[in-house]
Amino acid sequence: MPRIAGVDIPSQKRIDVSLRYIYGIGATLSQRVLERAGIDPAKRAGTLSEDEVSRIAGIIETSHVVEGQLRRQIAQNIARLRDIRCYRGFRHMKGLPVRGQRTRTNARTRKGPRKTVAGKKGVKEMQR
Amino acid sequence: MSRSTKKGPYVDEGVYRKVAAAKHSGARAPIRVWNRACTIVPEFVGVNFEVHNGRAFAKVYVTEDMVGHKLGEFAPTRTFKGHTARATSAAPK
Repeated sequence: MPRIAGVDIPSQKRIDVSLRYIYGIGATLSQRVLERAGIDPAKRAGTLSEDEVSRIAGIIETSHVVEGQLRRQIAQNIARLRDIRCYRGFRHMKGLPVRGQRTRTNARTRKGPRKTVAGKKGVKEMQR
Repeated sequence: MSRSTKKGPYVDEGVYRKVAAAKHSGARAPIRVWNRACTIVPEFVGVNFEVHNGRAFAKVYVTEDMVGHKLGEFAPTRTFKGHTARATSAAPK
């Protein structure tokens, strides 16, 4: 099993797909990396030679931010917004949508599962 | 959609002039502004502002990190005091 960018161990899938198991590499970037490395994307990850694996690893390590480093970068960006106490920072603190979406309905991705409030309009009907 | 880079950042002239004057004279008094849409440029760093939020003025001390944001982002316009706490489940049917 090849190892690229730290702990990631893709599998017997096509190399273009298994590269996407690395945090920070999606379909487009995977394609571009393989193009630069000159490797057929249809090849299975397990069948790659050592040289090919290290070529991919080299490209990713030198020109892309992935995994822990990327996670840290994102967390830092959010921490900065919090620290300067700007509107976007408040929205992150409160766990509400940051980019001006409505919150009267929807916004469940940010708000999490619904918390039903007793006595509110509509609750009685739901119990029937 | 974000603003065209061709235009450069939107900086209110009046605010900019006031900042320049304050820096020139070394005045430390906060600058009162209503122009919430004005982008913070590097020249504003270290200046005290009072940004209108529709009702009162919020004190904003500009730091380096704030460059590129707008003045209004630091003066919240809404006050959320939380939802009313209903008596939990004890309410009769």
